[in-house]
Amino acid sequence: MPTLRRLLIANRGEIAVRVVRACRDMGVAPLAVFAPTDAGAPHVRMADDAFPLPGDAPAESYLNGPLLVETARRAGADAIHPGYGFLAENPSFAAACEEAGVVFVGPPSSSLEICGDKAAARTAAASVGVPVLEGSGPIEDGDAEATASKVGFPLLIKAVGGGGGKGIHLVRSPGDLAGALRLARGEAQAAFGDPRVYLERWVEGPRHVEVQVLADGSGEVIHLGERDCSVQRRHQKLIEEAPAPGLSAAMREGLTSAAVRVARAIGYRSAGTIEFLVEGDRFYFIEVNARLQVEHPVTEAVTGLDLVTAQLAIAAGDPLPFGQEEVACRGHAIECRVSAEDPHGGFFPSIGRIDGVREPSGAGIRVDSGLYAGQAASRYYDPLLAKVISAAPTRDAAIARMRRALLEFAVSGVDTTIPFHLWALDQPAFADGSYDVRFADGWDQGPASPDCLRLAALAAAAWYHRQVTSPALPTSGTAPKWIAAARDEGLRR
Amino acid sequence: MRIEISIGGRRQVVAVEGAGADALITPSGTDAEGLITPGKAEGVRLEPLAGAECWRLVAGGRAVPVRVRPHAGELLVTVGSIRLPVRVRRALPVPSRRGADSNSTHRIEVRAPMPGLVSAAPLTVGRQVGAGCVAAVVEAMKMQMEVFVPAPGIVEEVRVRSGQEVAGGQVLVVLRAQEIS
Repeated sequence: MPTLRRLLIANRGEIAVRVVRACRDMGVAPLAVFAPTDAGAPHVRMADDAFPLPGDAPAESYLNGPLLVETARRAGADAIHPGYGFLAENPSFAAACEEAGVVFVGPPSSSLEICGDKAAARTAAASVGVPVLEGSGPIEDGDAEATASKVGFPLLIKAVGGGGGKGIHLVRSPGDLAGALRLARGEAQAAFGDPRVYLERWVEGPRHVEVQVLADGSGEVIHLGERDCSVQRRHQKLIEEAPAPGLSAAMREGLTSAAVRVARAIGYRSAGTIEFLVEGDRFYFIEVNARLQVEHPVTEAVTGLDLVTAQLAIAAGDPLPFGQEEVACRGHAIECRVSAEDPHGGFFPSIGRIDGVREPSGAGIRVDSGLYAGQAASRYYDPLLAKVISAAPTRDAAIARMRRALLEFAVSGVDTTIPFHLWALDQPAFADGSYDVRFADGWDQGPASPDCLRLAALAAAAWYHRQVTSPALPTSGTAPKWIAAARDEGLRR
Repeated sequence: MRIEISIGGRRQVVAVEGAGADALITPSGTDAEGLITPGKAEGVRLEPLAGAECWRLVAGGRAVPVRVRPHAGELLVTVGSIRLPVRVRRALPVPSRRGADSNSTHRIEVRAPMPGLVSAAPLTVGRQVGAGCVAAVVEAMKMQMEVFVPAPGIVEEVRVRSGQEVAGGQVLVVLRAQEIS
């Protein structure tokens, strides 16, 4: 395969910026695409060239496979990086790239097929001796009851074609099975176009631990340690950290070697993540995320390695840029996802226009961001705005740096998840690393302290005073300033 | 300027002086249940940090970031992980002293609490209104504030109309107060 010269980035936001930077590091020309709403976005301004997409709706823009391949061809790109989300795990898009003679930066479409079929991925993992949760293959309605009693209650109904937490139903007792099955099938059909579902034992309060792997496609697979992603809400990750706190050496060894075996079994290539549930001293494979992940920077922070340039090197046909013995984890890293969501209002997306941003920096802080003043937080896309990654020699120091960075981070115009993160960092269960996947359910700002009430009152009074004393609007000739001043004076009597 | 602040069930009137970013805030009252310890004037600074909503509050020897967002007639003030809805309005000395002296027929002037755009002026001359009735809605910085009639009366003059710019303290509506028997 030839060396990459020009690379089209089929994504937007912070991940597109991340890939632009990796291209610069590698001497590859980054090419951007953009929906109309993203015309002023940083990834567009930072790229060597940028190509407009016809509409904001994902189907017209970043999910528009044929147009993206055509754009890459026209732009003379020799590769496409899909980022995450959108087309990143779409086997037919990967195949279309290969057919058009454009390198797809990611796994081969055959691996994507297996990873996209949850039942097939489970089978593949089990075949190399990796524990999977008790469960079934795709089930028929007729056998559901018998299969369910074998799996045991409570259990989860999951979509075979699923992902992103969609189509998952918890069933606590046999009586609820038939109804939940109907719902799950309907959702699976609607979301993934595939009504097949399977059953899996439910684990109460596990930790979500995943292992980063890197593979060259010819059987060479290495791991870059694990990440704990147990701070989740509705199966969406909010905080990730590396290494996973409180993991024994034996467990770490078990997880990482299992991950390497699974990646090899499915013929993986590029960067990928093998996800596990950890329950006490046992672990279970759940799925493969066949893409670069949102939380990859925490691994980069503790290993000092660059996963995106590694992806580009592998895509160019080079061997792995480093071997297993060169991977060593040092210190601790935490990532907080800053999304346009209202944590005080059920984490609903906060739609609006961002009119001002101030990003943190300083010792141990990395910010991967697609934020800019004037940006519209649109209903069409994922609400992720930026990621703050803190790194330090110890976990406590990483937490302190993260708190400092979040307090420095100012976003005006939309609500963000920053208040949730500040709450999380101060929870005893987070501080001592004992949290599990139920942690974020405990989010509640609680009663305000007297100090907080006082600061809020002072801020409100000072803000109001500023508004009144500095006219925000140009006044018309009918109300000269001196009249207003005189009236104000009169009111003070 | 006297400003009334309410958070939840707590309410406090403070006197605010100063210009620009600096304000000297003197809490009134002796209410220990208030928001700010009464009796001591406190110098604060409110500096813009980002956009219209993010500020740096310097108070009591500390600098803290705050976000202040007008929403549905209130301010949403975020300090750390806590977001509080804060009602804030000018504590107007109405009815005026001048009016109070001539008890039965005194005039009540309802004034704009801040400069802005009148987005509604629903009263008509001759109408009898009760205390708490909306005299006008004034809008500034995305924030809509209802201006209430402070005491029952009959509308004598409506000096503004919807769409008009007003200065802070400008008279919006004049009422003839009703005698309270």
